[in-house]
Amino acid sequence: MVDLVWFQLLSAVLFVIGLYGVMSRRSAVLIVMSIELMLNAVNINLIAAASHMEGTGKFSNFDGQLIAIFIITVAAAEVGLALALILRLYRNKSTVNVDEINLMKW
Amino acid sequence: MEWAWLIPIFSFAAAPLIVLFGKYLPSKGAFLSILAIVAGFGGFWVVLISWMGADPSTNGCFTSENTHLLTCDYERRWFNAGVIGDVGSVTLNWGILIDPLTIAVLGLVTFVAMMVQIYSLAYMKGDPRFGWYFAIHSMFAAAMLTLVLADNFLLLYVAWELVGICSYLLIGFWHERAAAREAAKKAFIVTRIGDVGLLIGILLIYREVGTFSMLDAFEAVRTGAMSEGVTTAAAILLFLGAMGKSAQIPFHVWLPDAMEGPTPVSALIHAATMVIAGVFLVARTFPIFEAYDADPLLIVSIVGLVTALVAATIALVATDLKRILAYSTISHLGLMMLSLGAFGYTAAIFHMMAHGFSKALLFLGAGSVLHSTEFQETGEMGGLRKVMPITAIVFSIGALSLGGIPILAGFWSKDEILVAVSDNRNVTFIVLTLFTAMLSALYMARAMFLVFFGPLKSQNEHAHESPGAMVVPMVLLGVLALGFGLISFNWPGSYGGIGTFVYFKHAHDFHFEIWLGAVSIVLAVGAFIAAYLIYVKRSVSLENTRSNFSGILKVIENKYYFDEVYQWTIDRVVLVFSRSISFFDRAIVNDIIVNGPADVTRKFGIAIRVHVTGHVYTYTLAMAIGSVGLAIFVWLRVA
Repeated sequence: MVDLVWFQLLSAVLFVIGLYGVMSRRSAVLIVMSIELMLNAVNINLIAAASHMEGTGKFSNFDGQLIAIFIITVAAAEVGLALALILRLYRNKSTVNVDEINLMKW
Repeated sequence: MEWAWLIPIFSFAAAPLIVLFGKYLPSKGAFLSILAIVAGFGGFWVVLISWMGADPSTNGCFTSENTHLLTCDYERRWFNAGVIGDVGSVTLNWGILIDPLTIAVLGLVTFVAMMVQIYSLAYMKGDPRFGWYFAIHSMFAAAMLTLVLADNFLLLYVAWELVGICSYLLIGFWHERAAAREAAKKAFIVTRIGDVGLLIGILLIYREVGTFSMLDAFEAVRTGAMSEGVTTAAAILLFLGAMGKSAQIPFHVWLPDAMEGPTPVSALIHAATMVIAGVFLVARTFPIFEAYDADPLLIVSIVGLVTALVAATIALVATDLKRILAYSTISHLGLMMLSLGAFGYTAAIFHMMAHGFSKALLFLGAGSVLHSTEFQETGEMGGLRKVMPITAIVFSIGALSLGGIPILAGFWSKDEILVAVSDNRNVTFIVLTLFTAMLSALYMARAMFLVFFGPLKSQNEHAHESPGAMVVPMVLLGVLALGFGLISFNWPGSYGGIGTFVYFKHAHDFHFEIWLGAVSIVLAVGAFIAAYLIYVKRSVSLENTRSNFSGILKVIENKYYFDEVYQWTIDRVVLVFSRSISFFDRAIVNDIIVNGPADVTRKFGIAIRVHVTGHVYTYTLAMAIGSVGLAIFVWLRVA
């Protein structure tokens, strides 16, 4: 069985790639995609931990998987919401470039 | 007599009825106003007769310890301030006080108001605000009647202010004209300055006595519960209010300007309401003035004398007919005050009535002239007796009466004043009073001769006698101006002259000091003859006198520069002071105290808002750094 560390490493790499994407992308759509990446990185981490911890008695068997399913559900909802927002934003500002959308200040 | 409060209520009720429903009624509801005041006049007779029939055993009546007059007081609870029984709670009453002073003034006010209202029917005909005029007229009369009947200072003050606001509305009745607006404001503000004194005086008495009731206040003064200092201060403060309303120097400036109102309004203000309120107040609160050694009365008499003298000289040189009459009113109000100040209680009230009838008559006559000729300057008139005979006759009666020609009303009342002054004040007073009386005859004669005698000017040939509704009130007033003086005699029967009806402490029969009467007759008749020679015959020229006294004349013609001094004071003192206050308000209160904290908050906000860039990645970075930092923190703590 592959060591847990590798999974965690994969997860961390994916998370940081996602974070980098959120911070550096200009397009709102790409930012949403990056957020999805970060969520999935967390999922990997959770499921790996769950399968490695099986039988240790520290957690019940399905905790990790359960939370991962929750996250997938929430992520799906979030994508729906985020795309709707982006759509509205585009209708109003004719752009989804977040550099040009700086309404969130004084 | 308990129902005497209905007298003002009629007129109070008429005012809103005319305003609300006037336009649906014939003659715009003016008849309501007249009916109300006629009812008031009827009420006066009822009160007079029932007072005559009353004695100290009648309900509410007693013989006052202060005036030694049969006085009837009917008090009802008005409202409570605070919970009854609690410390500091106050029960306020309203009520009516009926004594001969009340009755005399009631008669004067209701009669003159009635005459003026009937006269106004014709005078104000066709005015776009005809109904409104009568509504305010009604309110004015009602307020004055309330003031006369009031038995406590609070009610009196309410009525006092109502009189003030009604006079404001009537003086500024033709508010399309700037002069009328200015005059109305001036009248209101100048009298308000005096009213401040009145209010403080009332509160001072309230603090000492614990009630607003006048009778309680008089009782406190009589028994010594109110100390001498407080009593004197209260009297002077009350007199300040009286000076404002009665146009005593230095508060007289509003009255000549009040001419801007319709002429019948002037008749009402000068004869029956407003200006006599001040004299009435002093007479009503006479026990307070007279208490201890009567120091305030000396002030009253001096102010009265100076006012009488100054106003009489101005009246002598004024050229506007209504202005002559206005200064004449001020002069006679001064005489009334002088008389009160010289313990001439009866004389003052008597003169108030005699002057009221004569002055109402003169103003209505002047209104009649104005109505017909459209001129107000005496220089434009002359010889009008040929075209307006009735007006000429009644105006002359009024002028002769005020000038103090024997048999007419003004002679007797003026004589009473002279007697009072010579009895109680020193020789300077009596000499100056006689001089004022002579001036009074002179300016009345001048006005009369300039307007009605001499050649008729061609511009006035179209003038004609006024309609009946204007002539009848003038004739009725003329009869009174002619014969009213007769009430001062002892007639056969139980009636002993006005001195046994309205008096303060001591009833006195009619008496006549031969030398004083002789001097005053000589002066008055001499003045009329002199005026006849100067203004009708033109056989005596004034040119020399004019050039010799041109300096003094200039001062008098400019009304002693009172208005200029006030204007200067307002410009240089009041406004400068106000500007410094407003600077303080703007620079300190507004800019530092109010805007200061706001400014600090705003600047601080600007300083710290640089992190709010509005860019998503800035926020994400902050969030990431924060999360990492938090994670490291937790990790270190766990480890």
